[in-house]
Amino acid sequence: MTQQIRDELGGILPSDEFRAATDAIVANIEQVIEGKTATVRLALAVLLAEGHLLIEDVPGVGKTKLAKALARSIDCSVRRIQFTPDLLPSDVTGVSVYNQETHDFEFRPGAVFANLVVGDEINRASPKTQSALLECMEERQVTVDGVTYDLQTPFMVIATQNPIEMEGTYPLPEAQRDRFTARIAMGYPDAGAELAMLDVHTGVDPLQELRPVSDAATVRRLIATVRDVHVADAVKQYAVDLVTATRESPDLRLGASPRATLQLLRTARAVAALEGRDYVLPDDLQALAVPVLAHRVISTADAQLARRTTDAIISDLVHRLPLPHERQRSPYDRPQSRSDNGRSPYEPRRR
Amino acid sequence: MRGRRHLGFVAAVATLLAAAPLATIYERWTWLVQCVIVVALISGAATLARWWRAPVWAQIVSMLGALLFGLTWIFPSGAELLNLIPMPATVQHFGALVTGSAQDMRTYGVPVQDVDSLLFITVLGVGGVAIVVDLLTVTLRRPALAGLPMLAIYSVPVAVHVDSVSAVPFAIGAAGFLWLLAADNVDRVRHFGRRFTGDGRDVDVWEPSPLAAAGRRLAVVGVVVAVALPLAVPGMTSGLLSRIGPGGSGQGNGLSGSGGSPGRVNLFAALSGELTRSEIRDMVKVTTDDPSPFYLRFAVADDMRRTGVATRTPNGMPVTRGMVDPRNTGRTIEGITHHAYQANVEIIDFNMPFLPVYAELVSMSGVDSTWLYDESMQVVFSNRSSSQKRKYSFEYVRAEYTPQALAAAPSLPPEHAMRQLYTEVDQVREVDDLVARLIRGKRTDYDKVRAIFDYFSRDNGFSYSVSTEGGVSGQDIVNFLTTKVGFCQQYAAAMTWLVRAAGIPARVAFGFTNGTNRQENTYTLTNLNLHAWTEVYFTDIGWVPFDPTPAASIPGSARSRSAWAPDVDAPDPVTSAPATGGNPETDASAGPTEDNRPERAVDENLGEITGPVAQRGPTWPLWVAAGALLLVLLLSLPALRRELLRRRRQRRTTAAASAAPTAVGEAPPGVARVLLSDGELARARADAHAAWDEFIDTLVDFRVRVDPTETPRATAERLVADGLTTGPAEEAVRLLGRAEERARYAREPLRQHAPLDDALRAVRRALRSQADRRTRIVAAALPPSVLNRWRSTLMDVSAGVVGRSSRVRDRLLRWNPRRVLASRPSR
Repeated sequence: MTQQIRDELGGILPSDEFRAATDAIVANIEQVIEGKTATVRLALAVLLAEGHLLIEDVPGVGKTKLAKALARSIDCSVRRIQFTPDLLPSDVTGVSVYNQETHDFEFRPGAVFANLVVGDEINRASPKTQSALLECMEERQVTVDGVTYDLQTPFMVIATQNPIEMEGTYPLPEAQRDRFTARIAMGYPDAGAELAMLDVHTGVDPLQELRPVSDAATVRRLIATVRDVHVADAVKQYAVDLVTATRESPDLRLGASPRATLQLLRTARAVAALEGRDYVLPDDLQALAVPVLAHRVISTADAQLARRTTDAIISDLVHRLPLPHERQRSPYDRPQSRSDNGRSPYEPRRR
Repeated sequence: MRGRRHLGFVAAVATLLAAAPLATIYERWTWLVQCVIVVALISGAATLARWWRAPVWAQIVSMLGALLFGLTWIFPSGAELLNLIPMPATVQHFGALVTGSAQDMRTYGVPVQDVDSLLFITVLGVGGVAIVVDLLTVTLRRPALAGLPMLAIYSVPVAVHVDSVSAVPFAIGAAGFLWLLAADNVDRVRHFGRRFTGDGRDVDVWEPSPLAAAGRRLAVVGVVVAVALPLAVPGMTSGLLSRIGPGGSGQGNGLSGSGGSPGRVNLFAALSGELTRSEIRDMVKVTTDDPSPFYLRFAVADDMRRTGVATRTPNGMPVTRGMVDPRNTGRTIEGITHHAYQANVEIIDFNMPFLPVYAELVSMSGVDSTWLYDESMQVVFSNRSSSQKRKYSFEYVRAEYTPQALAAAPSLPPEHAMRQLYTEVDQVREVDDLVARLIRGKRTDYDKVRAIFDYFSRDNGFSYSVSTEGGVSGQDIVNFLTTKVGFCQQYAAAMTWLVRAAGIPARVAFGFTNGTNRQENTYTLTNLNLHAWTEVYFTDIGWVPFDPTPAASIPGSARSRSAWAPDVDAPDPVTSAPATGGNPETDASAGPTEDNRPERAVDENLGEITGPVAQRGPTWPLWVAAGALLLVLLLSLPALRRELLRRRRQRRTTAAASAAPTAVGEAPPGVARVLLSDGELARARADAHAAWDEFIDTLVDFRVRVDPTETPRATAERLVADGLTTGPAEEAVRLLGRAEERARYAREPLRQHAPLDDALRAVRRALRSQADRRTRIVAAALPPSVLNRWRSTLMDVSAGVVGRSSRVRDRLLRWNPRRVLASRPSR
């Protein structure tokens, strides 16, 4: 029986220790990825928000490198799955094999049984295999042959995918995308960073020399600290307003889910904590709206024809949504319009 | 077809409503009954003609026929066939009525009695308008044009009344016109087919379309504005401007209220206004062959009420038709002598609807037929002309009375019309007591009048002064009887009051004394010679003048010359007066000061009135100043409100800065969180909010964009990035943003910071230095933040009112009877 007990989170870290720990991780990753501080911090924020990260960009901008650097910086179990078209679900979750010595089936854990799971080129696996991740990502457990195994804490899936190449790929289903807390794009490095990279990467791969600066226990305490960050009612209201706006936007066919609201707020907590605050600001939500919401929504055919990406639509919403103020009524909690004797307002009264 | 019938009915009723202003012309409602009959006939004829699908010309003919038929029936000449069919004689009769109406229009003042000719012209006019309105509305479907003939009706009272016409008839007429427009458009819209509301459902037949609500609202607002604006703005004849007129010296040619109709001139106000005037100007020049004329008189006030003494509307025939000679009444009474004289009057500067004449006019020349003579009032008046710059001559009869003749006159019986009309007076206990005391033991009318007349003597403490207020209402007269200081109008009004209280008819007369400027037979009368006195009615004798004002104070007073009303203050004993009866040479008995008296009186007057004039004369600068002050006050309201807000918030923020606990250090979170009391936290939070609100208002004032989607931090950063705040203000604006952000979203508000008040000041200074001059002025004088807030409040309130009223209307519609009737589907 290899079922594992979910690890208890530790105590809350004081702010200076929190800052030292997080700064060390960020600095460590930056030895490998130059000039991408914001992306790195966002990746770390997703880790601290107990979420999963989807890195989506063209080939060769360091997606896998970022995932591996984050994994290496933390002294915890790291597994890597290279998603290929012939990968099977049991390769991901694990499989029960017959042990001839004990004359019994024995569970051999798959690749997800680790603190950090790096899934490379996730859209190359068949939907059958991709769906093996559904349970573990949301419920942090794996059920094989009717037996449920808990996963360790922290547990984070860092997946990369290539949006350009369509040949031989399977786009992630909506349910799968919704399980990723944030989708980030690496983007090309600026000229200076690229120059510096040439110097560093010509010799030995710096990734190999990366030493862990933190461990799973510390990360658990970091997570506990993040959970303690204060969220004012006005900020919660703003998060709800934002998500509601995506559901009501005429440009979007599918809005964000309640899970998105939850993860938006969690990530905002982590970002606030990384900035040394013990309270969340609407600014955090505004900054996170695109990474957290854009990959979950589906734009209408019209918007697609107009070449409006979901990123643009979401950032547009953010720029148009007024800030809730505690002394000001939210535009969404208006009383419902008078029901006309139970009839729909569009129904003609008399024919 | 049904819609046309409905429209025809509406057109008829709208015409009648538009005729409502005529009510201000007529005394009674006969005209309305006749108009209703004629308009109903016309409308019925038109409906019938349309029912028969007659061509347009036939409709017109039928309506004209109905009008002719109605007029014949209402104004018969007696020569009609079967009393209905008009004959040539009828047409002649109508012609006579029309010419007569032209004459009567000049003759009668408003309100007019029911005169056939005027009623005829009214009914004819309204009938004509009804025909035109019906044609325009039903046949041509141009109801908007129908407003023109309706307006023509309204112009009649406007032309007749010299001053403004009441707004109510106009509103009634406008309502009729709006109804006509609405009926026409409802009919038009019905032809569109099915009606929808704005939100897409069908409109029931009985329900007004919500899409039309805007039109209805516009119409109501239009009428309200049309009625309210002229009431508020000073007009040409009434309102603020004319009220501050008399103080101006440039065109000071008239008495206040000049040019009005005779019944409306406030003679008392005019009189006191002229008497207290510092300058002296010539008003009238009169030449007479009468060696000792009595006062030149032009008006009487005979309507005594507690609120004051007013003039009844005079009534009479044109002076060109001649008058009844008072000598030819048939009766001659012992002791009364009549002498006929002739006088020429040249008006220099006297603007009134009256002409000054001597009493008991016999004939008059030099004036046209617009001037009328009121026999009972003995005044020459006009409803449209003014006395200014006129020259005329007249013959008159001056009567002399002996006290014995007056004493012999019997009292009027209480039910006599004259007595009922001219003894009407309010009961005031003090006055009644005084009168009872004065007339105790007096039997004849004359004795009673003399007792009252003699009461106004220096011995009883009465003195003359024009500096008193000069009011003539009931209370003012009681005050006068107590203080015993006043001038002619109070003396005259008081005596009239007392005489009336004694049951003897009396009235106040207005005119000129004979003045001091006499050359041969020509008297030049100035504004200081204006005077008021009392006239008492004696049975079979007529109106006899009594001047109770102390003669010594009135230049040119005739008091000392009249035997029946001698000067009670004269040094000569009163008892000798009857003996010298009717002798004009009693002048001499007034003593050696007689010659100097007038000048002295004038000087005294001047000396006495310089004080009051300084206060009362130039009232218009006060008005202008008050108006300007009010305007400035109104304009400065937003700025005041802004300043008040700023003060209140400043008090908060400075208090917060001083109250911030200095001993509590910034403890690292998580280790030892210093817990403040909830009250302190709440206060610090409120202070930060106050500072932020002030900051946002400042931004609005200086026209810096305020984005409701921006967080405080982003707003502060934007200001810095835009370069609007530099140097210390940069720090300040960040501090403000941080404080508000902490107050809104953090567990604890920001503590231990520089005073927010200073930060606010720094930011405001920076913004002001960046703004252009116009923005700065607007921000100081009319802060947009305050104006915006007021505007949005107003909009919220009005939206609430509209919402509530529409809910109420919906509820009421449930009880609309049309809903029950509307069983058939909507067209």
